[in-house]
Amino acid sequence: MTLDFLPRTAILEEIDGQVPDHHLFSFRLPDAFPIAPGQFAELTVPGIGGFAVSTAAFVGDHRFQACIRRIGRVTDALYRLPLGARVGLRGPFGKGFPLEEFLGRDVLLIAGGLGMAPLRALLQALVARRGEIGRLSLLYGAHDPQVILFKEELNALARQGLLDLHYTVDFAAEIPWRIGGIACQVGLLPKLLDDVRLQPRQTVAAVCGPPGLYRCVLDELAGFGLAAETIFASLERRMRCGIGQCCHCAVAGAYVCRDGPVFSLAQLRRMEGAI
Amino acid sequence: MKSFGVGSGFGEALLSLLQSRGRVFGPVRGADGICRLGPLSRWSDLCPDPPYLPPKKYLFPPRERLWSLAADEYRRNGRCAEAMALVGLAPCDLRALAYLDRVFADDPHYQERRRRTLLVGTACTPTEECSCLVGDYPPGDIFLAGDRLWCGSAQGEEFAARLLSVLGDEQDRPLPPPEAAGRPASNGRLLAAFGRSAEAPLWARIAKRCLSCGACSAVCPTCTCYDVVDEALPGKAPQRFRTWDNCFFTSFALVAGGHNFRRDRAERLRFRFEHKFFGFGTLRGETSCVGCGRCARACPVGISLEEIRQALLTESPR
Ligand SMILES: Cc1cc2nc3c(=O)[nH]c(=O)nc-3n(C[C@H](O)[C@H](O)[C@H](O)COP(=O)(O)OP(=O)(O)OC[C@H]3O[C@@H](n4cnc5c(N)ncnc54)[C@H](O)[C@@H]3O)c2cc1C
Ligand code: SF4
Ligand code: SF4
Ligand code: FES
Repeated sequence: MTLDFLPRTAILEEIDGQVPDHHLFSFRLPDAFPIAPGQFAELTVPGIGGFAVSTAAFVGDHRFQACIRRIGRVTDALYRLPLGARVGLRGPFGKGFPLEEFLGRDVLLIAGGLGMAPLRALLQALVARRGEIGRLSLLYGAHDPQVILFKEELNALARQGLLDLHYTVDFAAEIPWRIGGIACQVGLLPKLLDDVRLQPRQTVAAVCGPPGLYRCVLDELAGFGLAAETIFASLERRMRCGIGQCCHCAVAGAYVCRDGPVFSLAQLRRMEGAI
Repeated sequence: MKSFGVGSGFGEALLSLLQSRGRVFGPVRGADGICRLGPLSRWSDLCPDPPYLPPKKYLFPPRERLWSLAADEYRRNGRCAEAMALVGLAPCDLRALAYLDRVFADDPHYQERRRRTLLVGTACTPTEECSCLVGDYPPGDIFLAGDRLWCGSAQGEEFAARLLSVLGDEQDRPLPPPEAAGRPASNGRLLAAFGRSAEAPLWARIAKRCLSCGACSAVCPTCTCYDVVDEALPGKAPQRFRTWDNCFFTSFALVAGGHNFRRDRAERLRFRFEHKFFGFGTLRGETSCVGCGRCARACPVGISLEEIRQALLTESPR
């Protein structure tokens, strides 16, 4: 394999700005960009810089879609670009969620904050094969009701009976809060776990969120009886190269960019310092 | 291995042959008394001390352009790598380059330079800080020790063939063993001790002295962490560079939102030790510390990996 540092050019085609500072950006590429749920790309704003970003969509075509939080220098520059602007895209990088492991089983998705973005891609992939999986549940925790991502889509899936959906927020003006008719609790994510009826032996879980979430939720899931091999989490690290070279993302001998970012709890337990 | 005796005048003859091919660099003492790798103009200028910065600086330069963007196209547009020869490399530095060859096996920037680089190794006199590995070392293209020369590659043989007038008897001989073979190359016991050492007090104790200055990684022949930096000067095309980075810097593992995966110095010291002795990714399990002693010589507070290695072996809980 030859490492390629050259981005290809993509065109900013569409911006969904419903959630402030968490816009959904769509880019068009000249060639197909086969990125799988859980994999990531490097997005470059020319002259400013690049950053790692997960695919927020399950698309196998000439599009790349990502939900990007405005948090620093490069993401801020991206937010200032007009439609039609050209950006650079490298990737896809890393190993995504192992879809085959999800088929034929119940699926539990747990998203914290922006972790919903990669899980939306996974959710879309699962919905596309809805008939081949059992119960499909999503526990989604956000800071407050305003920053819940993909609200309409998620609610629509819930109303069609395709998805068992539970929200919680850290802060809300009134209790109980309802989001498009779906009840929303106030409190931390793990609290929601009490509400789902699990059949642990036939359940696969995928968790995506800030480091603090992993510390409490992963072991709790294992405590319910889910096998550590069937609990998946996506790690975030500072990434500069995406190809296992610059060393920034190394943990316990693995490069998160190349060997991950998705790992099973069984793997994570052998990786000191990973969570 | 094909070996020849060398007579007087051999060095100058080799140097002028190498110079006719491209640029030649070797350890030379500067006006400030420090030995560095630099352009070599006279064979007698070769300095026996280990050069301050290792040869990686020629193959993986401190700052190099990855691309520039013009008319919507990202281009490498680097000049073709020039032919060069690196002369006077000690066995540890040859080992280090063999390791870098693997780290950058798929890297077009490194490989292009490496293909045009000739390595001339030389036997060395160990210093107090050295902890050279036991066993074979790669000979480079040509290796010199005492009054003999070894041909380490087909290219080395070609060069020898062109120097026959200043070479003596040809024999088949093994390379001489390294002079200070202090450290076993196998790591099993160390890895086990490391695995049990997450909470061991030795990290905090040693890291308390550490200034996070990063000198140790900068001078290390196998440290290759880098950062990626974009630049757009007014009127010029946007460009991307990679520049040497340092795992001792606080920002190395900092992510958006302010979370730092290696907040304190003890964790960073342990991280560097892990990388040097156990490797990452596909090179997991392999030692990349070649024992050159540069980190210990460069450290302003006298921390050495050898000190840590010893402490780990004696102190780590069983
Ligand atoms: C695998 C992966 C997937 C990601 N997916 C998404 C996503 O879908 N949506 C999204 O909004 N963000 C995602 N991120 C995070 C995103 O890469 C960072 O938020 C981004 O670097 C911010 O860039 P910036 O230039 O705007 O911020 P900066 O101005 O560079 O920095 C802001 C902060 O981010 C830190 N930082 C710098 N570079 C990185 C980096 N490469 N990775 C992490 N932190 C960094 C800085 O130290 C600083 O604390 C992902 C990160 C990884 C590793
Ligand atoms: S860690 Fe120190 S002794 Fe080992 S190769 Fe690097 S600079 Fe030399
Ligand atoms: S050279 Fe010494 S003080 Fe500086 S970072 Fe390395 S160990 Fe710490
Ligand atoms: S991002 Fe460079 S090694 Fe993973």
